[in-house]
Amino acid sequence: MAEKLVPVVCPWCSVGCRFYAVSVNGYIRKIEFDYDHPTVNRGKLCPKGVASYQFINSPKRLKKPLKRVGEKGEGKFEEISWSEAYRIIAEKIKEIKETYGPEAIAFLGSEKITFEENYLVHKLSKAIGTNHLDFPGRYCQYSNSPARTAVFGSAAATNPFEDVAKAEFILIWGHNPAETAPVFFGQYIEKAVLDNGAEMVVIDPRATRGHKYASMHLKPYPGTDLAIALAMLNVVISEELYDKEFVNERTTGFEELKEAVKEYTPEWAEKISGVPAEDIRKVARLFATKRTALFVNEGLNQHVNGFEFALALANLIAITGNIGKEGVWSGVFPGAQCGFCAAMTGIAPNKLPTGKLVTDEAARAELERLWGFKIPDWVGFDLTTMIREMGNKIRMMYIVGGNIARSAPNSRWVREQLKKLDFLVVQDIFLTETAKYADIVLPAAAWFEKTGTAISAERRVQRSYKAANPPGEAKPDWLILVELAKELGLGEYFKYEHPDEILREINSVIPIFKGATPEYLAEHPEGCFFPCTEPGEGTKVLFKNGFKTSDGKAHLQPVKWREPPEMPDEEYPLWLTNFRLVGHWHTGTMSFESPSLEKRWPEEYVMINPKDAEKYGIRSGDLVKVETRRGSVLVRAEVTDHVREGVIAMPNHWNINVLTLETIHEKTKMAELKAVAARIRKVEE
Amino acid sequence: MSKKIFLDYKRCIGCKACEVACEMTHGEARIRVFEFPDLFTVPFNCRHCEKAPCENVCPTGALFRDEDGAVAFDPLKCIGCLMCAVACPFGIPKLDEENKIMDKCDLCSDRRAEGKLPACVSACPTEALLYGDMNEVLWNREGKIVANLKSSAEKGEGEKAYIVL
Repeated sequence: MAEKLVPVVCPWCSVGCRFYAVSVNGYIRKIEFDYDHPTVNRGKLCPKGVASYQFINSPKRLKKPLKRVGEKGEGKFEEISWSEAYRIIAEKIKEIKETYGPEAIAFLGSEKITFEENYLVHKLSKAIGTNHLDFPGRYCQYSNSPARTAVFGSAAATNPFEDVAKAEFILIWGHNPAETAPVFFGQYIEKAVLDNGAEMVVIDPRATRGHKYASMHLKPYPGTDLAIALAMLNVVISEELYDKEFVNERTTGFEELKEAVKEYTPEWAEKISGVPAEDIRKVARLFATKRTALFVNEGLNQHVNGFEFALALANLIAITGNIGKEGVWSGVFPGAQCGFCAAMTGIAPNKLPTGKLVTDEAARAELERLWGFKIPDWVGFDLTTMIREMGNKIRMMYIVGGNIARSAPNSRWVREQLKKLDFLVVQDIFLTETAKYADIVLPAAAWFEKTGTAISAERRVQRSYKAANPPGEAKPDWLILVELAKELGLGEYFKYEHPDEILREINSVIPIFKGATPEYLAEHPEGCFFPCTEPGEGTKVLFKNGFKTSDGKAHLQPVKWREPPEMPDEEYPLWLTNFRLVGHWHTGTMSFESPSLEKRWPEEYVMINPKDAEKYGIRSGDLVKVETRRGSVLVRAEVTDHVREGVIAMPNHWNINVLTLETIHEKTKMAELKAVAARIRKVEE
Repeated sequence: MSKKIFLDYKRCIGCKACEVACEMTHGEARIRVFEFPDLFTVPFNCRHCEKAPCENVCPTGALFRDEDGAVAFDPLKCIGCLMCAVACPFGIPKLDEENKIMDKCDLCSDRRAEGKLPACVSACPTEALLYGDMNEVLWNREGKIVANLKSSAEKGEGEKAYIVL
């Protein structure tokens, strides 16, 4: 049996590492590092990357379509055939359409499936006649993304990773790249700091792995970062450190911004965040006077006031001119390798795949011409609203590769809501918590078991190829969607035999991906940077001359302080926040099935500062009960200086969302996953 | 001088990619990352000593030095007497309980035979692990210190030079 070296993209985070899967007879035997191509990872991989094919061999993989026989949530199923599964789903869709109309059906795309598959989820939902379309990334980048779009007209990362090594100042704010993206940290940030002499500052209530390289560490209370950002704007403007030429020529709304942040002095911010005013001044001065790379992630995003925080940072980037040139970096940094695949195919309640709004009549007419069917013109529900409306306006959901029963905030309530649905279809590779509530579960092929396109955090479009056969009767998601469409009588719009054909259609439908053809990506494993309008013509640095706003200028937005929705009080005196571990990924559906990772990162725990621990009589290893107004969990305690006083922190892969808050921001619909009031007590054993 | 795995501990972020890469290659991790409370982390594998006590005490010649200078291991000759484990000052050789023979790092002899780097070095995302000739590694470090001293002197900050690296 000959060994085949199949070039693949890593399935976990969004750095876009490449390596080879050594495939024998439809199984992956091992991996091989890829040093040959100009890849982003230069052959390097993190523990998740090295162990990335373990989960696909798990005996718990779904192998046949399942029909629920027990109660919802119980997880009792019987095996059925594909044809029966399609027949049941198609009948149910028709029945619900006739009774309640297509607006009672909602679809979820995913950041785990390929670019092509997300495109098909979008196309199928529109063909059925619903705009209730979203993906679990709603709880990921939906603070930063809309804020950057409001200011710059586009949210994407402005520069390639190689520019990070050229930066003079690196500000890491609410992001832990040493654990969430170790290859990116090692190959770019560390090189900037250790080899090129860049200065690094970290703003985080927790000390993370990368802290030893930082010259300063600011520790705000969770959810109060906005106060620091406003104070930094105040310092930059009042000390006139901003880039005057850039502000005059390339931005609008500076006077309004100046007026809005007048009151927010560093001393004011110190009272709210607990960070010394002088430190805020120092960071603001560094930010304004050096070539700055700014990294933000869930510490910014997963807050109800995250949108305002992201607006303040976008303003700060614009007035200091740290955009549109080499050696700077800012943008969204999706947690999953296909976050951009879902976002760029318009998986959102108000978007078309072309990036235009569903309410834009001309854009809809153009897409109707390309697709050949009518497209609904109303704005659909976002994920949180879908959950709220389950059993009311939403009667049926079709979830592809999402685990909202664990990832959505206040998950106990989410599980109750899932029970109210008339019909739920879940398409996944494992029987996730969400799938246990499904009426029909469809077994999908995992990453490595199909060919497809991934888009990394630096806008790099890369192709990954099939290296293994799916287990049992599992099929690639795109094939399931195509076959279901045929059963629904929509076959004429879904005539695809291979993912290449879908990608070719994307090339013609989405203008910014015109050049990312299957042929070009096959010949160029390093991919291309979108917008790539012709093969070989990618865009490495965005906004060199103009922004994507109507007048080409950055629209500065006035921002006001906004409190987190829940603050500690006498009853719940601590802030609870969450973080990610290097060895696990999201809700762990895949990483928990990887023995090498599971062995090293076996269970959840809560980090508590020694001063707080003394107050509550807790020692490392004690079993403690962490409680909020939504619920409680039992975990082991780790007493450590790495978390500031008054704050406790838990990894987000296990059950922390039993404790979080479903209050949402009115515009972005982002929930509060990172800063809630909690209490902790030792449980006697 | 033979090639070995060197550690630039300043670059290590304790991600354990080396451990997992080793485990994926050999079934069991032969390198371990030690973590200290102050974020200091040290990946630690067999040092392949120049005067290797394990090799010296092995009664059956199961431990031997291969052509690249690594202390390699012949499982067919091993009788599981644990002498190497007793002699090793670093606690490196471990007993493979199932086969009752010893197991230790051989610097990935299979990979080296194919001209590849040891798995842990290949994976290390921060390049904290280096595979190379000791003199080369030390010369590089020395060269860096000299370069830093020079540039500091040019900038007139000589007193800061000692804290670099």
